[in-house]
Amino acid sequence: MGLCMAKTDKDKKVYKNGFNLFEAYPIQFSEKVETVPYDEPAEAFNFPFPDKNIAHIMVNLCPTEPWALPHVRITENNPREFFSKLDRVRTRYFGGSHCHAVISSHEIDLIKEVKEFTWHGDWLHTYLLDPIYPHDAPVLLLKKILGLHLAYGQDTRETGVLILEPQAVAEIFEHYIRGNECSTRLIPLSGTGLGENKILKVKPGTPIQAILDGNVRENITCRVFVDGPLNGSEVKDMRQRIGWTTKNIVILEERDYKTPFSFFRLNELVFTTSLMGELRRCVYCNHCDDMCPVNLEPALYWQCHTRGEKQRARLYGLEKCIECGLCSFICPSKLELLQIIKECKLADSGSRLKDETDYKKI
Amino acid sequence: MKQIIKKFEPILNKNLNRVESFIQTRPRVNFLFGALFEAFDGLIRSSKDTAKTQPYIRNQMDIKQFMGGILVALFLGWVLPSIYFFGILCVVPKIIVSFVVGVFIVDVLWVILAKEERINEGGFVTCLFIPAFLPPQAPLWLIGVGAAVSILFRNITGGVGMNLLNPALFGRLLLTICFPTMVVTGWQEPFLGMPTIQSLTYGVDAVTHATPLLIYKETREITSYISLLFGTNTGSLGETCRVALIIAGVWLCKKRIANWRIPVAYLGSVFIFSALFFYTIGETMAPPLLQLLSGGLIFAAFFMATDPITTTYTQIGKWIFSIGCGFITVIIRNFTPIPEGVMYAILFMNLVGVPIQSIVLKIKYRA
Ligand code: SF4
Ligand code: SF4
Repeated sequence: MGLCMAKTDKDKKVYKNGFNLFEAYPIQFSEKVETVPYDEPAEAFNFPFPDKNIAHIMVNLCPTEPWALPHVRITENNPREFFSKLDRVRTRYFGGSHCHAVISSHEIDLIKEVKEFTWHGDWLHTYLLDPIYPHDAPVLLLKKILGLHLAYGQDTRETGVLILEPQAVAEIFEHYIRGNECSTRLIPLSGTGLGENKILKVKPGTPIQAILDGNVRENITCRVFVDGPLNGSEVKDMRQRIGWTTKNIVILEERDYKTPFSFFRLNELVFTTSLMGELRRCVYCNHCDDMCPVNLEPALYWQCHTRGEKQRARLYGLEKCIECGLCSFICPSKLELLQIIKECKLADSGSRLKDETDYKKI
Repeated sequence: MKQIIKKFEPILNKNLNRVESFIQTRPRVNFLFGALFEAFDGLIRSSKDTAKTQPYIRNQMDIKQFMGGILVALFLGWVLPSIYFFGILCVVPKIIVSFVVGVFIVDVLWVILAKEERINEGGFVTCLFIPAFLPPQAPLWLIGVGAAVSILFRNITGGVGMNLLNPALFGRLLLTICFPTMVVTGWQEPFLGMPTIQSLTYGVDAVTHATPLLIYKETREITSYISLLFGTNTGSLGETCRVALIIAGVWLCKKRIANWRIPVAYLGSVFIFSALFFYTIGETMAPPLLQLLSGGLIFAAFFMATDPITTTYTQIGKWIFSIGCGFITVIIRNFTPIPEGVMYAILFMNLVGVPIQSIVLKIKYRA
C-alpha cells in the first residue's frame, strides 16, 4: 500500500493553484437525514459498466466542495466495510484492476484506520489530498496519481480508468451484488436560499420542485444549481428530475437589488449570486493566474477576446483549461472569464472558414 | 453605529431608488446628471448585477475594495506620519486640494462631458500620490496642477485599465519639466520629539535642508540609517517615514493587492547593483544601504511600481520590469546630475512594459 504523504503547507495551498472553499463557505449539514416524499416509483438503477478494460478504479473520498456530500455519510464511520464493498465490486466486475482511494489529509482518524488494514493485499492504494478546489477534478487526479495526461472533457474510461463516486460503490454493491432493490440516493441540499442545510434521501426521478417545497426561505428569490454553483448548471425548469448521477443541490439567494453600505455587510452578500462588484476592465492584478490550477493566464484570453482575436487564445495553452471557473470566481473586475474561455474554445473548434467569410463581409 | 445605519438605511435606499428612476425616465436629466448619480450611487451601494454564467458565486473582492486597500495603506504609510512630522496644516490642505481638483473637478467634468459611466475610484489613489512625492513646502497650486494633469492624462489615454504610464508619475514628470525648481526645492526639516497641539497643527518653522542623497553627493556624509528609517529627515512629504511605508506595503502584499514580486525585485536589485558599483567604482557611488533608504525608493517600490495596470501582466515580466526599474534607478542616481531616479525609472519601464510582455509571451508559449 502506498500512502503518499503530501507535503504541503496549508496557507500556500489556499492561494496557489486552487482555493480552499471550505474556509470561504463553511457549510454545516444537519445531523438527521430526511426523506423526501414521492409516491411514484423511482427511476430504475442502472450503472453503465464500461466495455473497455478497466485497469484502475479511483474513489474520491475527499470532496473539495463544501456543498458536496460528506463521505462519512456513506462510509457511516465504518470505512472497513466500505472498502470491503469496494473490493467485492472490484473483483466481480473489474477483476485485476487496482483501486486508488483519495482521502482528505485533514481526516486523521480515517487515515489511521486505513493504515491499519492489513488484510487487503496490494489492490488498494491510498493517497492524501488537501481539500482544495479543484484538485479532485479528474484531469488533475489522473495526472497526480497515475501520471496520465488527460484532455479536459475526455472520458477517463478511454485511458482505462474508472472514477467511481463513493455513493455509486455502495449502490452497485447493494443492487448488483446483494440483489436488493436500490431506490434512494443521498442528496445534500445547501445554500443561502435555505433555512437549514440538509441531507435528503431522494428517490431518483423526483422533480426538483418536490425537494424545494418547504425548504426554501420565504420572501426571497432563489436560484437552484445542480452539482455546485462553480462547476454545475443552473436549473431553470423545476420539473427537472433528480437522476442517479445528481451529486448535490445548491440554492442561492438572488440579490438582484442594490445593497447600501455593502462594504460593511459583506457577510450578507457572500454565497449569493451577487457579482459583488461591477464589471470593469482587467487591471492585470494576477489573481486569476495565481488561482489557476493548471497555471494558465486567463487575462490573456480576455485580451484576445476583447480584441476580437478569439483564435489567438489557443496560442496561450487554452486547451489545458479544465473549466473549473476559479478565475471568474476570483477576478476583482468581475470579468466572465470562464465564459470567454468557452467562447474562445468554440471559436477554435469551429471552422476557420466561417471567420473568413465574416471578414469578407466587412 | 450599526443601529443608526439600520434605521437610516431603508430611507436612504428608497430615496436613492426614487432619484434613480426619476433620472432614468428623463433623457435630458439623464444626460446631464445620470453619470454623476451613478458614480455617487456606486460609492455607497453595491451593484445589482448577478452572475449570469458559470460560476454562479463570486469572490467578494472587487475593484472598489482593491482601491480602498491601497488608500488605507497610503493613509497609514504616509499621511499619518507626515502629519506628525510636518503638521496638519501642511498636509491636510494639500490632500484636499488634490482630491478636489483631481477627482471632484477634473474627473467629474470628464464624466459628464465624455459620458463615461462613473467616476473611477482609482482617481483617489492617483490624487493621494501627488502631494506625497512633492516637497513639504510645495505650494498648493502646484499640487492642484499636478492632480489635474494626472487625472486628465489618465482619462485621455483611455481610463483605468488602458493607460500605459502611471498617471501620478506622469503628472509629476510634467511638473518637473514645467516648474523644475519647485519640485526639487523646499525640503523642510521635520519636527522631532513629543507631539504637542502646536506641532501637530503647524509643524516646525520651515528650515530648509538638503536631502540625504544630495548631502552624500556633496560632502560624502552618510545620514544615520536609523533617522532615515524613521523619517526624521528631509525628503518629500510622503517618503520619509520608511518604517510605516514598509509596514503598509507588506500589508498590501499580504492582501495580495500589490504583487510581492515587484518590491522584492526592485529593492533587491537596487541593493545588488549599488553594492556592485560601490565596491567596484568606489566612494563616488552612494553605499547600498543609503541608496535603499533614501529618496522615494521605498515609497515607489511598494506603491507606485506595483500599480498593476502599468506593469506587465505575466509574472516573469514583473520580475524583469522591477529589476529594470532598480537598475535604471541606480544608474540615474549615481551617474547623472539628477538627484532622484525613481520616477524616470518607473516611467521608462512602464513604456517598455508592452514589449517585455510580448517577448515573455513569445518565449513562454512559443507563439
Ligand atoms: S483576475 Fe481579472 S482583473 Fe485580475 S488579471 Fe485576471 S482577468 Fe485581470
Ligand atoms: S477555468 Fe481554466 S483558466 Fe480558469 S482557473 Fe480554471 S483551469 Fe484556469
